[in-house]
Amino acid sequence: MDRRNFLKIMGSGVASATAGNLLAPGKSVANEGQTAKEFKGILVDTTRCIGCRRCEKACAEVNGLPIPDISESANENTLKTTRKTSDTQYTTINRYETEKGPIYVPKRCMHCNQPGCVAACLVKAMRKRPSGHVTWDVNCIGCRLCMVSCPFDVPKFEYNKAMPRIQKCNLCYDRYNKGELPGCVEVCPTQALMFGSRRQILEEGKRRIAANPDKYVNHIYGEYEVGGTSHLYLSAVPFPQIGFRTDLGTVPYPEYSTGFLFAVPFVFVLWPIVMLGINRATKKDGEEKHEEKHEEKGKH
Amino acid sequence: MNRKLMYFLVSIAYLILIAYGLYGVYTVEATLHVKEATLAKPENKIAIAHTEIFGKLERPQVIFNHGKHEEALKTEGCNACHPADGEALKFAFPKNIKKTGKKAVMMAYHDECIDCHKKKNNESKKSGPVTCANCHAKENAALKIKYPAFEFDFSVHDKHVKKLKEKLGKDDCGQCHHTYDINEEDETLALVYEKGTEESCYYCHELGKKRGPELTAITKVAAKKGLSIRKVSHQQCLNCHLKYQEEYLKKGEKEACPTECSKCHAGKYKTVAELEKIPRPDRDQKEKPFINIKDAKLKGVTFDHKYHETSSKTCRSCHHETLKACNECHSLTGKPEGNGINLANAYHQVFSEHSCTGCHNKKKTEKDCAGCHYNIKPMDVETMNPKTDTCGRCHTGQKDKLQGTAISSGAVDKIKKDVEIKVLEKEFEPSKFPHQEIIRKLIKISNDSKMAAYFHGNVQTLCDGCHHQSASGAEAQKDTPPNCKNCHMTAYDRQHLNKTKLLSAYHRQCLGCHEKMELKKGRKCTECHKVKAGGPAEMTQSKNDHVVKQNKNNILNVWKPE
Repeated sequence: MDRRNFLKIMGSGVASATAGNLLAPGKSVANEGQTAKEFKGILVDTTRCIGCRRCEKACAEVNGLPIPDISESANENTLKTTRKTSDTQYTTINRYETEKGPIYVPKRCMHCNQPGCVAACLVKAMRKRPSGHVTWDVNCIGCRLCMVSCPFDVPKFEYNKAMPRIQKCNLCYDRYNKGELPGCVEVCPTQALMFGSRRQILEEGKRRIAANPDKYVNHIYGEYEVGGTSHLYLSAVPFPQIGFRTDLGTVPYPEYSTGFLFAVPFVFVLWPIVMLGINRATKKDGEEKHEEKHEEKGKH
Repeated sequence: MNRKLMYFLVSIAYLILIAYGLYGVYTVEATLHVKEATLAKPENKIAIAHTEIFGKLERPQVIFNHGKHEEALKTEGCNACHPADGEALKFAFPKNIKKTGKKAVMMAYHDECIDCHKKKNNESKKSGPVTCANCHAKENAALKIKYPAFEFDFSVHDKHVKKLKEKLGKDDCGQCHHTYDINEEDETLALVYEKGTEESCYYCHELGKKRGPELTAITKVAAKKGLSIRKVSHQQCLNCHLKYQEEYLKKGEKEACPTECSKCHAGKYKTVAELEKIPRPDRDQKEKPFINIKDAKLKGVTFDHKYHETSSKTCRSCHHETLKACNECHSLTGKPEGNGINLANAYHQVFSEHSCTGCHNKKKTEKDCAGCHYNIKPMDVETMNPKTDTCGRCHTGQKDKLQGTAISSGAVDKIKKDVEIKVLEKEFEPSKFPHQEIIRKLIKISNDSKMAAYFHGNVQTLCDGCHHQSASGAEAQKDTPPNCKNCHMTAYDRQHLNKTKLLSAYHRQCLGCHEKMELKKGRKCTECHKVKAGGPAEMTQSKNDHVVKQNKNNILNVWKPE
């Protein structure tokens, strides 16, 4: 191939590539999750939640799960018990009786900035997307390490299925790629949930606390917990009262193991070499000769 | 030989390590989880622990039954235990503490208590314990005794004034009140009574509270002498009570001049409403002073001092350091006496308990007011472009004239009666909103309170409670307040995701108000939203299919932005 031909091919290639992009603008939207520059998240204002459980229903509809009964009488019964998320319920609302009356708290995957589940996954089935969504893929081998590693006890395993999967909230990754809001945010009748980039929702949370210092406790849960999460919570009462763990620390969970994992090659590979080297270096010349003599003696 | 020695040394080293570890494990102090219990009714008992001197106690604290001792030593009088200073008693114990060390205090207690108990025993009278554990009982270790503070409110004050006048034949406030002349060099002469200077005991004797420079000089002296409010009030009250108690007992008034702990510290407090009828102490204060500051930008304010007297429990709730007028310490630019706080802030500071605005804001958090006011930002001197009416409400510039008329309900009939909200039409029946009824109720609440009646000039003010932006911009040109949906969109504004959309504007406004006003009505979904027969809400109930058909019954589809 001579130079002229090469340029021709290259030129047409570049042109078609740009034209393709121009003709199909929808393509960039479809890849929003891959090209996002900021983590997305949800600000949950527990002072606004009225416990209607519409988000639970919307979540079920979006993800094709059994639809919960959210009529008033059913709600009364359901809210009596504190429910965890399950393989058929990615989000739950619980009622907590606190010093400021009943408070409803929606809970789902926190979408950590540095998720423990992603670090624990052996086959990269759990992934933290550039847009902040923590998603699960079908190449999972079912080891359930993600369940052990999660500080919020979120990933759930389909124990009663022949081909079990790990189930958890994925912050409506598919809807996000289509340019839609997460199902729960879309239906919330009081806007207790606010979707936005983590920077935006953090700013909004701080603004709300500053504007109503009497109403909120001065803490945004998820701002620093386990290195920061994409779900942020505002509360009118101290967080332990509404079922949040405050003993998690601010160190991202994967960082607890990085120190050890870096030490492994050193201990198993380098350490013997170092010891051998020291051994060789400190051996006296005389001893070697002495040993040689012994050997010679043995020969005789 | 060498190798054997090395093995020996290493094993010895290991042994030492193990021993050290075991020692460490077994000498960790076990933390006792004793449940602290507070005695509901202290019944004249006092806990003696003095942790400020002893720190951690070696033996359990002593629960001292003061009532029993009072009864047993009736003939000997309080003098038996409490030291006298001239005629007046000092309510301290033990009598003779010479030093302040741990040992000295302990010995003083033991000497005095045990000696007396022994003495009584020898006289073959009923007596108290003399062995350690009988006083330092284990079961009392975690007991807490706390007496509720006594409130010397205006009704008690009034009673004392009347009784003293009866007894002495004239008003003599000097029986209790005094002032301290800080400029007097001879300390014995510094404590004087001067008519017209009576103030609260708390000003000088509440130690540890941050005060202005003038008062700090006096509180320092009080602190030096250890004259805390607790000490001086016991000394002042009890000495006088002991003096007159018998006299009243003979008259048959058993309740007069109490000396028992639980008689004063009963934990019963009177409300402002109960105290309203009781006359306030007269110190020649004006009924309606006209506050007109020279060189101030705004007009003067006629202040109904008398009304505010009856609507608060103490003078201290406004006059925080002295009973002088505000402008004697606070000037337009701020003086050191007033801690540099200028007059505008002294009157308008939003978060102060003593300023006009601060106290009014606190009032606005009460349930009748909070429904509207929790959404309205407090006004202070830094508020940008307030309505002229807002400042003019107080700053009338007219002497002896107070505004404030009740809102007439005549105009209400013209207002829309019922409003039907049909936003969730597809799923629910329309919600009925009793517009006129609510306005009538609000007018009633406003007219019933003197403060609200003063500030809410007309119905329009009440409209602003819900139609909160009605004054801004173009909306102000129209006569009718705007609809919610003029500003609040039905769908999310993708550029401003924190903007309130119509659905949540309704829910938060309605539910917020019902919650703040502590209304029982309208807290459940079904009270406003009746499920439409054949609508999607009825259709999608409890289907345990794993695959949901994407039909129009989907709530997400129902609420899709139009």
